[in-house]
Amino acid sequence: MSTYVYAITGADHPLRLDDLQGVGDPPSPLRAVTSGPVAAVVSDAPPGLRAKRRDVVAHESVLEALMADGATLPMRFGLLGPDDERVAEVLGRDAPAYQERLTELDGHVEYHLKAARDEKDMLLEIMEGSEQARELNRRTRTDPGAHDERIALGELVAREVAARGEAQAEETTKRLSPAAARLSRSEAGATHFLNVSFLVPTASTDSFLKAVREEAERLGEGYNFTLTGPLPPYSFV
Amino acid sequence: MTLVQQSSATSGGSGSGNLYDVLELILDRGLVIDAFVRVSLVGIEILKIDVRVVVASVDTYLRFAEACNRLDLESGRKAPTQLTDIVGDMTESGAKGKSKGALSGAVEAISDTLHRKSEDSEEEPSRRAARSSTSSRSSAKREE
Repeated sequence: MSTYVYAITGADHPLRLDDLQGVGDPPSPLRAVTSGPVAAVVSDAPPGLRAKRRDVVAHESVLEALMADGATLPMRFGLLGPDDERVAEVLGRDAPAYQERLTELDGHVEYHLKAARDEKDMLLEIMEGSEQARELNRRTRTDPGAHDERIALGELVAREVAARGEAQAEETTKRLSPAAARLSRSEAGATHFLNVSFLVPTASTDSFLKAVREEAERLGEGYNFTLTGPLPPYSFV
Repeated sequence: MTLVQQSSATSGGSGSGNLYDVLELILDRGLVIDAFVRVSLVGIEILKIDVRVVVASVDTYLRFAEACNRLDLESGRKAPTQLTDIVGDMTESGAKGKSKGALSGAVEAISDTLHRKSEDSEEEPSRRAARSSTSSRSSAKREE
């Protein structure tokens, strides 16, 4: 049976695993595989494991519990080693590197921020700023046959939305970065203009939250921020 | 503005209602060990498709044009700053509801799929992307 790997911690982590539930149904009990200065938190991998909601939540819950007790390197969901011996072997081989990363991330948590702009608000702003957009809007409103104008309007607006989103993402990132140790941006997707993770020292969590709140207030109505955390430092391992 | 602050993917009154917002972190980031294998994520394609392709499509242009045609230009924009509305410990539904529009069609469908499936913990949290909300919805249905 293969071994499901949740996280890597220091061997001196309390590793209170008894009350935690692993992936699978019924949930697999957890155990630690130790190799020198580092340990891997593992369980048996249930046969036919896939990314079911229950299992993704189990993975995340185990990591959050471990994180609360000390530095934890979160594994990506679904990582399987052949068996405990092989896990120990790999762990031992790269122990210095893991140890170094544990030291770096000790006392840090991840916060994930998604920011969206109210679309109507943004479209009004684009209209206000562009005579061409207003003209195309007038023509397409009154003439159902104005197909080319409709496409031209949509293209103009799409370009503006993308440019404004990117500029805003840059600005917000720049304003928040002093409150975090590191940050990692990724593709925002179609619903948001900003998708970014921050690595924040636990000691300065309050000032980070304050900075996010101030930025949301500065941008005002028409913007929606969703901040999730503290999370295991997925984006910084 | 709205700031929704949520503690984690697994806590909170709605059970694991916030999972959607961190799914990509759990499934697509985190440490990997090259020598090991990963379970199949078939049916869960993280949104790696190039969003620019979706944005630069005739479908999107037409939706934007329609959205512009519907605007009430007389009433103008909202005042830049009004009463602060900080909502603590809410699920993501509060924020998502406000950001619907022409662009959000495709991802909205994915989100719908996820939320629908989330009612049954046996199901996989799917995130299928497609070029338009129509085809996304139909592909989501096929998965069920």
